[in-house]
Amino acid sequence: MLSEFSAIKGSSPGYWKLVALCALLFLVGVGSFFAIESYGHGITGMNNQVVWGMPHVFAISLLVMASGALNLGSMSTVFASIQFKQFTRFSAFLSIVLLIGGLTVLLLDLGRPDRMLLPMLYMNFRSMFTWNVFLYSGFFVLCLLYLWSMFDYKQFTKVVGSAAFAWRVILTTGTGSIFGVIHARDVFFSAITGPMFVAVSLTSGTALSTILLVGTYRKTGRYMEEKLVFGLRNALIFFTLLVGYMFVVEKFTKFYSPAFYEVETWLLVGPWAWLYWLGVWGCCVIFPLVILFHGRLGNTVQGVVAASVVTVVGVFAFVAHVLLAGQSYPFDMFPGYQLSSVFLDGASAHYVPSLVELGMGIGGIGLSALLFLLGIRFFRMLPAKAVAPEGWELPWSP
Amino acid sequence: MTMDRRSVLGLGGVLAAGVILAPGLRLIAAPEDVTEASDKRRWGMLIDTTQCNPACTACTQACRTENNVPLTGDPERDIHWIRKVELHSKDGGKPDRSLPVLCNHCEHPPCVHVCPTQASFIRKDGIVLVDMHRCIGCRYCMIACPYKARSLVYSTPSIPGTPNRKVPMRAKGVVEKCTFCVHRIDDGGQPACVEACQKEAKGGMLFGDLNDPQSEISQRLRQVLSTTIRPDLGLKPRVHYQGI
Repeated sequence: MLSEFSAIKGSSPGYWKLVALCALLFLVGVGSFFAIESYGHGITGMNNQVVWGMPHVFAISLLVMASGALNLGSMSTVFASIQFKQFTRFSAFLSIVLLIGGLTVLLLDLGRPDRMLLPMLYMNFRSMFTWNVFLYSGFFVLCLLYLWSMFDYKQFTKVVGSAAFAWRVILTTGTGSIFGVIHARDVFFSAITGPMFVAVSLTSGTALSTILLVGTYRKTGRYMEEKLVFGLRNALIFFTLLVGYMFVVEKFTKFYSPAFYEVETWLLVGPWAWLYWLGVWGCCVIFPLVILFHGRLGNTVQGVVAASVVTVVGVFAFVAHVLLAGQSYPFDMFPGYQLSSVFLDGASAHYVPSLVELGMGIGGIGLSALLFLLGIRFFRMLPAKAVAPEGWELPWSP
Repeated sequence: MTMDRRSVLGLGGVLAAGVILAPGLRLIAAPEDVTEASDKRRWGMLIDTTQCNPACTACTQACRTENNVPLTGDPERDIHWIRKVELHSKDGGKPDRSLPVLCNHCEHPPCVHVCPTQASFIRKDGIVLVDMHRCIGCRYCMIACPYKARSLVYSTPSIPGTPNRKVPMRAKGVVEKCTFCVHRIDDGGQPACVEACQKEAKGGMLFGDLNDPQSEISQRLRQVLSTTIRPDLGLKPRVHYQGI
């Protein structure tokens, strides 16, 4: 028997301090936006070689996690994992707030944010950006309908939840394909880039949900059965293995062709190698698996939360690596020649993020966190007590 | 003067019809040859790299003057519509070269494909342009272009003392690139870089109509061995290089 849904009290000084902190982060983002709007992108670390910087890393990471945050809802509604049914509202709501945070950063980083509505007026259906406009707005509407159906029209939950699940797979494939379809960039161009984004959304969404659920239940003094956290851990393990599998397949395919030796070697030992090994492999795959498979750590809530935190760091590292390494690798316009020019042809691009860029990205996180905190305060998003359904047992433990 | 309701409605109707029809009307037909792009033409360029001196910057200087392109001194954020690139053979098997690189005005331009607002577009005569009033500054075109031919205007640009008023003034936050000096072409001229190369250098740059089999560029392309940048991408660039 599921517990009744209820909003958190949200009357403690700690809650309001957290709200104030998130509002402050959001204001930092707003201030950063106005600074860039006034002085131009010249005050960022971006340049004519690396044209997408930290705001995009934050924005795309939030969007990837928005898709992944629907995991709990999908696992319950589509794959009948009854133990997660109590978290479906939370799941859809988290997707919405992450989507808002990510899209806000993405739109405000435009060179001309005053023209942000033009893509709705002059659509180019060949552009992945145009597709993503539809995918993001469609996902937003579907998540809202999913949430609404869970509150008032339960007969539609299955249909809307299934549609949202299918949509999120397409959505994240679309996000990855923003890069994957670019033939000119050796690092981006791959059919597996889209699916890799889907896999990373599965891990990061599950990880963020775990952190927020454990954090919310602990801080509000509510009860959450540990078995549920370990159920999330098992899902995270499988998703992380999937991510590792995709990384291996991608590298194996690229290294099989001599045409890619140069760029792939550059990725493994070049200026962004630290991010690849520590961030992509370390935080996305190895460190979480080591923690989760550890006999003692993997069987504690703290251990699962720690692995989840590392996984969330991993999604930022993954997106940063795709974006920054992908743009930094010099174009090989004339094979067989070493290039040089005043426009820095032939050289790895240089990029150091500026504080305003970080401010804008953090502002997006602040906005999402603020909406989340207010949402669980004013709406009945979570069960008063999270317990595993009767008869449900954890199938296995590492 | 007073107007009755019937007159007001009638006048309103005429005004509304005028507003709707006006964009489609042209009172005086402009001569197509001079002022309007023709889909019968395909402008292209042939660059003879054997004639290009590494020390010569006539083409880049002419472009900056013609198109009011400023140099800020920040190599990472400077705007380049055309730039000189030095090529050094990796194995020493080929002679070093110096050549200009600019927008290749591809037949299948990836910048146009990815632009979400159709701000990047192909004119009838194949010239790829950017509508500066429609560009939102998303920079996806810069990601997609394999020639690094586009630049974002990173800060409020300085305007030269005597700017060329035939070229639109640039705006902060918008992406721009070489237009093949479209304003000169429409006046029956040639791009400034080509003209400068022919006047001040050895004349290694040749511009013309690729659709016209009798044009000098078409004839030269039939006679000499030439290549384009990254032909493997299938973009069909219209800037050809001889001597590499």
